[in-house]
Amino acid sequence: MLSLEIFRAHKKEVVAAWVEAVFATYPFETTGFLRTKQDPFGNPVAHMTREAASTLFDAVAGEDMHPPTVKNALDRFIKLRAVQKFLPSQSLAVIHAMKPILREQVLPKMQDVGQLAAYLEAESRLDSLALLAFDMYCEARETVAEARIKEIRNQHAQLARWAQRLEDGGKAE
Amino acid sequence: MAKLPTPQMLVASRPAFPEQDWLDIKPEFAPGSFCYPAKKETMELLHMPNPHDWDPAAEDWNLPENWEKILCDAFAERLEKHRSLKLFMDICVRCGACADKCHFFLGTNDPKNMPVLRAELLRSLYRRDYTMLGKLLGKKVGARSWDKDVVKELFYYAYQCTECRRCSLFCPYGIDTAEITAIVRELMHEVGLGTHWIMDPVKNCSFTGNHLGIQPHSFVEIVEMLADDCETVTGIRPKTPFNEKGHEILFITPSGDVFADPGIYTFMGYLLLFHELDLDYTFSTYASEGGNFGSFTSFNMAKKLNAKMYAEAERLGAKWILGGECGHMWRVINQYMDTYNGPSPSHMITPKSPITGTVFKNAASTKMVHIAEFTADLIHHNKIKLDPSRNDHIVTTFHDSCNPARAMGLLDEPRYVLKHVCNNFVEMPENTIREQTFCCGAGSGLNTEEIMELRMRAGMPRGNALRYVQQKFGVNHMACVCAIDRATLPPLADYWAPGVTVSGLHELVGNALVMKGEAKRTMDLRQEDLPNVVDDEPEGEE
Ligand code: SF4
Ligand code: SF4
Repeated sequence: MLSLEIFRAHKKEVVAAWVEAVFATYPFETTGFLRTKQDPFGNPVAHMTREAASTLFDAVAGEDMHPPTVKNALDRFIKLRAVQKFLPSQSLAVIHAMKPILREQVLPKMQDVGQLAAYLEAESRLDSLALLAFDMYCEARETVAEARIKEIRNQHAQLARWAQRLEDGGKAE
Repeated sequence: MAKLPTPQMLVASRPAFPEQDWLDIKPEFAPGSFCYPAKKETMELLHMPNPHDWDPAAEDWNLPENWEKILCDAFAERLEKHRSLKLFMDICVRCGACADKCHFFLGTNDPKNMPVLRAELLRSLYRRDYTMLGKLLGKKVGARSWDKDVVKELFYYAYQCTECRRCSLFCPYGIDTAEITAIVRELMHEVGLGTHWIMDPVKNCSFTGNHLGIQPHSFVEIVEMLADDCETVTGIRPKTPFNEKGHEILFITPSGDVFADPGIYTFMGYLLLFHELDLDYTFSTYASEGGNFGSFTSFNMAKKLNAKMYAEAERLGAKWILGGECGHMWRVINQYMDTYNGPSPSHMITPKSPITGTVFKNAASTKMVHIAEFTADLIHHNKIKLDPSRNDHIVTTFHDSCNPARAMGLLDEPRYVLKHVCNNFVEMPENTIREQTFCCGAGSGLNTEEIMELRMRAGMPRGNALRYVQQKFGVNHMACVCAIDRATLPPLADYWAPGVTVSGLHELVGNALVMKGEAKRTMDLRQEDLPNVVDDEPEGEE
């Protein structure tokens, strides 16, 4: 349990650094706003980033977490990045961006107390989370593609029924 | 050995301090972030200036040779014509109150989607020609000259603004960025730049009456099919009066609700309500489109399409006009119709409900009443019988559509109706509703599928608030009073809050309405089984 305690002691700094790393993927002029405004509806991007950050960290640290809880906490964040103007790699590389932060903040402490194996396990958990995020990302992109098809269909739904009826020789008459 | 980039290198999309000023960074026309261009033939048919073939993703947009002069003159003309525009160019103090209020900004984090900077794109051009400092100091005071990239940039950001006016609510000077966007779109049209999704409906409305260009006889048949569906659900086939002279009321609604799922169910709600009231009304095939895509094009085009309403009221001798659930249709009626095409034909009267006797003094000038007001008044006077328990499987919230909310203040009437037809109603968070409502992300002619990705990020603030009430209060439905919303909110909900369905207000009214002589309702207007139906005593089984 020593490992978990060390992780917990560093949560605040790691989460803050990771949130900054995510904000840095947006234009310079808007980072200040993301940082400062706290309203979950007035500044949704910051809110969903912080929610993802906290859960991501807990899951990496090895807290007892249900996969659906983790998924739900990452959901908005991944969906947002899936429709912003990023390459897929840029969208998801932010998950891996936690690694250098952990190596800087947590790894030395873990090494000091002979917990290297536990630390490596934590990094592996981050890799798994990145794969989970990859699934969610793909699902989001598919939803967008489906929405385009569905929308075209819905726009003319009634027209299609009418045309069908004409084709059937106006059997309603 | 070649080196692979690290994850940090992949995400580092910008240096710590940008080398360029925000104004110098040019937009990238990536697929999914721009609308397809209008067809040359469409623009020719509509007598739009400088029609030509072009591709937004191409380097050269084939602008007419003297494009710069055209644009400078057109801008000057509009500054002369609209005092408000000149004022908006002059008085912004860059306080930033509007900056974070735009859903496009919140979803994209693109600084040029801050309303203040969106306007600044045009203001920088204004400064060069119309301010002393700009003339003298140029770039130092944020003035710049026209060039082809500037044209591209104006186009790009004028179609990343839904003219929703949320920003203007927060501006201490009342600067209306939506109007600035409208002007920029007009300027773009001067050099032949328009979008297919807007200009095609404009053409269809101009030539045939509805946005898909369906011929009148077919239009009537399609509406009759909806009346048949009403009969399937209720056992009563409502009447569908078309182009009949001498009725008291002319009813005009967006044609989207005749063609599109789920708008058709709202239309069925109208048919049932009017039938139950035995309302003295008619539809028109000529004025069969309440929506006005002309208002996303230019003031003149909006005026032209709007003119059909009074012309048809005059021809048919209707005393007043009842209008269906639409967003921008009401912006045009409430804010522009009077000056476009007013005064109303002289035989028209201040609308008075034939059922309750209520006089709608608020509509004394335009002679047009919104159906939510009309129905709220009916309910207030106890004139219709409702069984809200038929909607008990629904926990609904209400999305204030930008135009009815901010351009006409229609906030309480739809809620009043909704609460009488549904037992479970939940509001979304305060700073996302009523006047502060967040746009669906695809209004003002941006509801086209090729920019679905853009719509999902622009609609995120709305989707985010919806998701919140879904998770916290079990909301599974969102009602609205706008035909564009009925098209744009379903994909938004599917993305941000899957499991939430969307409908118009009068679909729910139609479901709850207890009609004289109706058959027992076992399904809703979508012909889906009602979950809470109790079986009657079996009536003499065969
Ligand atoms: S009108 Fe709406 S979309 Fe346009 S800048 Fe203002 S808030 Fe943004
Ligand atoms: S709120 Fe008004 S004055 Fe302030 S920056 Fe925005 S447009 Fe300018």
